[in-house]
Amino acid sequence: MRVLAHRVLGAGCWVLGFAAAAFGQDFTQRGFLETDFVGYPQSAPNDSGLALGEALFQYEAFYKLSANWQLAGGIDARTDTHQQVDRLWELSWEDRERRRPSFEVRQLNATYAKKKLTVVLGKQFIRWGKADILTPTDRFAPRDYLTVVDSDFLAITAVRATYGGQSNTIDVVWAPLFTPSRVPLLDQRWSNVPAGIALAELPPSFPGGSQFGARWNHIGSVAEYSLSFYDGFNNLPLFNFAEPQPPIVEVQRYYPQMRMYGGDAAIPWKGVTVKAEAAYFTSTTKTEDEYALYVVQLERQAGEWFFIGGYAGQVVTEHRSVFDFAPDRGLTSAVLGRAGYTIDTNRSVAMEMALRQNGKGEWATLEYSQALGGHWRATASFTLIRGDQSDFLGQYRRNSHGVLALRYSF
Amino acid sequence: MNRRVVGLALAALSVAAAEDARQIVAESQRRGRADSQRYEGSLEVVSANNKVSKKHWQSDRLGSYGNSKAIIRFTEPAEVKGVALLVVNHPERSSDQWMWTPAIGRDRRIAQQDRSTRFFGTDFSFEDLEERDVDQFDYSMQGEESIDGALCWRIESRPKQSKSSQYTSSRVWIRKDNYVPVQYENYAKDKLVRRLVERDIENIQGIWTARLLEMTDLGRKSRTILKLENVKYNVPMQADDFTVQALRRAM
Repeated sequence: MRVLAHRVLGAGCWVLGFAAAAFGQDFTQRGFLETDFVGYPQSAPNDSGLALGEALFQYEAFYKLSANWQLAGGIDARTDTHQQVDRLWELSWEDRERRRPSFEVRQLNATYAKKKLTVVLGKQFIRWGKADILTPTDRFAPRDYLTVVDSDFLAITAVRATYGGQSNTIDVVWAPLFTPSRVPLLDQRWSNVPAGIALAELPPSFPGGSQFGARWNHIGSVAEYSLSFYDGFNNLPLFNFAEPQPPIVEVQRYYPQMRMYGGDAAIPWKGVTVKAEAAYFTSTTKTEDEYALYVVQLERQAGEWFFIGGYAGQVVTEHRSVFDFAPDRGLTSAVLGRAGYTIDTNRSVAMEMALRQNGKGEWATLEYSQALGGHWRATASFTLIRGDQSDFLGQYRRNSHGVLALRYSF
Repeated sequence: MNRRVVGLALAALSVAAAEDARQIVAESQRRGRADSQRYEGSLEVVSANNKVSKKHWQSDRLGSYGNSKAIIRFTEPAEVKGVALLVVNHPERSSDQWMWTPAIGRDRRIAQQDRSTRFFGTDFSFEDLEERDVDQFDYSMQGEESIDGALCWRIESRPKQSKSSQYTSSRVWIRKDNYVPVQYENYAKDKLVRRLVERDIENIQGIWTARLLEMTDLGRKSRTILKLENVKYNVPMQADDFTVQALRRAM
């Protein structure tokens, strides 16, 4: 949903008023301005562009009203050279736009905390699970998959109540509005539509109901583990195709019902931390698969190094879907890894990768980052994607790319 | 017979010395006890090639030593603002630690085997940020020595079996006049790896407090200077604000 332009002014005034009225010890703010230059060595069948520029301004403010109440608000403003960002002077709340909105409420919520109870009301980020590269139980965390392998999380509108002390907590979430993950644009390289096919995208069919989830988490002296349940909708779409006026093919996104039963654990064991996370998904939507996803990973920090390595798998118990976009399932049947090395106080390198066990797809990102003074950071990265057209990762093999990013944080 | 008596006498002296050393450490901790402590920390990390990076954090601590809980929250530089560490100390074993990273919206438990890692680019390891409860170590008196003109006891501590530590032993210098520890040397397999020097000792609300801490990582040849500002004791704090749940509420 888009709100009217005058609400942009309203929200802007709110943020400024918030900052002005609340400046003091109980007020904190942070943000950054980042410009990215992205280069693709190869053109894609439906996108000849080889370079693009992006700019993102992010601002977040927090104010502690009293011992029990806290407010948080944030806004993203962005633009780019490749029409991945809307050119409208409107403020987005629900994040349902096809393109990234030029102005977006990143978060806006109130937190009430008293003794063992915490309630957060409003637009917020909710993260579940313990695994790192793939988190099957993280159901309230839609993502921006416009450039599939570089995805950011999106906030959702929800009420979250958490009750408990240090050892046991119950987390209950109710989300009245559905926030979908943002999928690649059909006319750009990450949609991977073959050249010569004329696609017309119909307005998506968003589900009208609410979503509910509950999670129990236990922190023991040695291990941590959780059980979680989710009843709502998959934030990743299925697609309907129709050809009423050949050669134009109409495509429409819709979001299947989903129920999830999940669990996760983190256990230190013989010098490494073992993390495991698994979830089983059922659906009343006749075109959605029923399946289980699981991840087992080992984690270790040693000196200036950190390593995370593991395996993600999938078991399909009922195959029903034909056309879907599922990057979470696309990272399964693969060895996943992440490693990093801190060179000194200002410089670091990191690597992240996924290798399909059948060798049909691979993705690896190498990143070098350097702080320049107290506010600036420059980051250079290169992402290599290889594989077969039939593989989820392999289908993006012409989308290997390099990124130069310069960020000013405040 | 005489040798046996001498042996027994030496053993008794050794036990007495150990008891004295433990009592000195216990007295030092007793004098430093407070219901809570809050300070703003200003850090300068000086690398081996003299590059300096500056950081700031705010530290809240509820309780003292073995039963304390603390949250350290970065306020500068901008790119790490909001990153926080929760340390829950236990009298009978090593602390539990969780780190909150707002950029990814996740908390992560710092596993025991990872505690020797440097804390966010400083020369303090995660383990150095936990409090050393007197009962988790065995002590022996190593003698006396002057530091900055103040006569100190030099005491060696070794972690008990229940205490997991990157250090095989530590030496602490405790001033005889006010029982304030002014220097620590931490050893891994008899090799000196980190030295902490405490300076600018000031009496704040009846508690002798070092306002300047300098931690040197002898392997990396880098050091971190931590200045404590706006130190306050016995500030009203709630136990419920020192949980993983509260860590996520971090501003």
